[in-house]
Amino acid sequence: MGHRAFPSALLAAIGLAGCNAQHPSTAIPTPAIHVGTQLAAEQVLSRTLDNAPQALDPSLTVDVSAQVIMDDLFEGLTTLAPDGSVVPGVASSWQTSADGLTWTFHLRPEARWSNGTPLTAADFVYAWRRMVDPATRAQYAQALSPILHGLDVATGVRPPSDLGVTAIDAHTLRVQLGSPTPYLPQLLTNMYLQPLYEPVIRRYGDDWTRAANMVSDGPFMLHENIIGSRLILDKNPYYWDAANVKLQRVIYYVVDDRSAQAQRFLAGQVQFTSSYPTTDLPFLRSRLGEQVVVAPYFTTMRVGVNVTRPPFKGNRALRMALNLAVDREMITEHVLNGAGFPAYTTTPPLPDYPTPTPDWAQLPVKARHELARRYYREAGYSASRPLRAELSSSSGDPVTTLIYEALIAMWRETLGAQVSLHEMEFKILLQETRLKKLELFHDAWTGDYLDPYTFLELLNTGFELNNSGYSNSAYDTLLDKANQQTNLHERYRYLAAAEALSNDDAAYIPVYYYAVRHLAKPYLKGWAPNIVDRNLSRYMYLLEHEGN
Amino acid sequence: MLRYTLQRVLGAIPTLLLIATLAFALLHAAPGGPFDTQKQMLPEIQKSIEHQYHLDEPLWRQYLRYLDNLAHGDLGPSFQYRNTSVNELIAQGFPVDLAVGGSAILIALLVGGSMGVLAALHRNSWWDHGLMGLAVLGISVPVFVIAPLLILIFAIALHWLPPGDWGGISHLILPAAALAFPYTAYVARLMRGSTLEVLASRFILTARAKGLPLRTIMLRHALKPALLPLISFLGPALAGVITGSIVIETVFGLPGIGRYFTTGALNRDYTLVMGITVLYGALILFLNLLVDLGYAALDPRVRFAR
Repeated sequence: MGHRAFPSALLAAIGLAGCNAQHPSTAIPTPAIHVGTQLAAEQVLSRTLDNAPQALDPSLTVDVSAQVIMDDLFEGLTTLAPDGSVVPGVASSWQTSADGLTWTFHLRPEARWSNGTPLTAADFVYAWRRMVDPATRAQYAQALSPILHGLDVATGVRPPSDLGVTAIDAHTLRVQLGSPTPYLPQLLTNMYLQPLYEPVIRRYGDDWTRAANMVSDGPFMLHENIIGSRLILDKNPYYWDAANVKLQRVIYYVVDDRSAQAQRFLAGQVQFTSSYPTTDLPFLRSRLGEQVVVAPYFTTMRVGVNVTRPPFKGNRALRMALNLAVDREMITEHVLNGAGFPAYTTTPPLPDYPTPTPDWAQLPVKARHELARRYYREAGYSASRPLRAELSSSSGDPVTTLIYEALIAMWRETLGAQVSLHEMEFKILLQETRLKKLELFHDAWTGDYLDPYTFLELLNTGFELNNSGYSNSAYDTLLDKANQQTNLHERYRYLAAAEALSNDDAAYIPVYYYAVRHLAKPYLKGWAPNIVDRNLSRYMYLLEHEGN
Repeated sequence: MLRYTLQRVLGAIPTLLLIATLAFALLHAAPGGPFDTQKQMLPEIQKSIEHQYHLDEPLWRQYLRYLDNLAHGDLGPSFQYRNTSVNELIAQGFPVDLAVGGSAILIALLVGGSMGVLAALHRNSWWDHGLMGLAVLGISVPVFVIAPLLILIFAIALHWLPPGDWGGISHLILPAAALAFPYTAYVARLMRGSTLEVLASRFILTARAKGLPLRTIMLRHALKPALLPLISFLGPALAGVITGSIVIETVFGLPGIGRYFTTGALNRDYTLVMGITVLYGALILFLNLLVDLGYAALDPRVRFAR
């Protein structure tokens, strides 16, 4: 969700690791931690959060940090297991009609709000209608577009009551879709589709998200929120699965600087961090060993190519040349210290999805470069007539800058191309990209839901976020066909075909897949790194331990 | 003096107006808007949000509305933290900056002042060279090196103090010490210089000739005039520690307004940035006034013109 490369690595260069890579053995000895088998007496977890959530109203925010908090405060029809897979939440079961358009959810009768009131199907109807009601001014109202009339309501064409969601009775909810959406259960875990408690919103208006007023239905409830500093969540005794929630309290410290997150962890103030700087990785590994976690994440970093302007317009050979000249392994190993995975296609690996890796990815680097030079010549460039282009990126993240400098060096050495780096503020980059003023641009994207469509939609003709201006009717047709399938494997087959087509056109230059990065104490259990990078406190617990 | 104060306060109004106007113009001139995100909003909703925050009105009208609200002490709603007003954010963050900045200045005055006097009294001794060497170090090493270093020593290695967060005295010590570092060094050098100057003056010579003990000379006669340059330094320094603690706030995760200011600028949170700019402007004007008044109180040669 959103963009992760927000400038926060102010101290990445010095931070803790001022004396890192070269001298991993620091003067401070690594503390030994002995982990017992019994639950610790005090079940209070401290974790870090990358940014202050911009709002605690799930309709009014789009940021990743808000989703982390909402995962603890609220629960939708479905929710996530520690490994990131979808499991029943407020709904204990559901059925799908043969055409895949009508879903019937059966809610747990024991589900309660944090004030003890029973949770009913009407609470979902209220929350979803509110989300798409233009009067709410939800920034991401289109998140509900798979639901029948979702987009029409959000754009004011239809009234909110037309949204395809109905409470059949207190514990049965019927959802109607505009087109088959096999990933709906995954979508339902998102904050935009969590239920809301109408009486507090009616009573307090915008102030309903204050700790004193908020009523939520998740494993935890809000105790305190100091913007920019910390959030404290307490266990919700009325949560339907409260018997299995072991943590009594969760404290989220807002630490926007990644180095500072590592410092908090090393000092023993937090047991779990949401991130750490990749530049500190060698130092952290040497000191913390297994406590440093790197795992795949559903985010791809690509170089966007503007195909509506020269030199890349109608010049597939040139795009291929740049694509083939990128040595991904070099970047993930040497720039990212292993905290990233080489990407040859835009959708990160997904279970059951036949990732269409291009054939040339199997070639040795030398052969790839040879091919790249051939394409470069074919495109009409040579040593005497080199490509001159500009690559635009957002300033503030030193690692991103390093990656682009490496890419530019690769293009220069392999092809003789003269690409220059132009850094600008993120907001300016967004605007210029959207206006299609740039040639090559920084483009990192995190999937909204676990389906390739969240990435592939970005090249659909006319889609508002199609920043490269790519347009291919065969591609669009394949996406349409995929959306008509009710069978997931059939759907994936069409999507993979579309993705292969865009690879062949070199509509992007994929560089690497992001990694989820955490520091976790060995006595913190009940969590696992997962591809959506959502780790619910609900399952976490602390074991007895000596040392910290 | 009352008249003088009143004049200065009234004179501050056009300055503040200028600051507010410049802040408004610069922010609105920057490309990108507060609600531009990677996920584009539906145009209908974008329009509706812009209407809610009056961003759809002509600029001059927004400007007048902003000035009108400002005159009533209303800094408007924050754009990036929806459902939160700028007044609220400042009310929450400003005391933190005051506490950290105030403590830092106190440390700087006490430690730096003593260092300076000590160095002056033992001029050209190894005391003097050692202390002044330390002061040069304090001035040259940036705060973003000092702060993580303090965390490394006192939070990670020794576990004496927390590495961040906000709450009690223990949370105040490291940030205040880190912030005080360069100011302590400045104060030490200033204090040494002014003490030396005062000690060489005739009235001190007279006092010495009369056989007064050094202790009495220092406390009774030398300290007050030696403090004068410090007072003029104090105004900008106080403003500096309060407004310039952004790095400290980031490293220690303090909920001060410096961080709101930077994230606000990057997120085009117009109201938040304008509000803090005006606050900082008012603060600096106020501190300058205090310095001038303090000067008059300490130095019999300064009198207010009628």
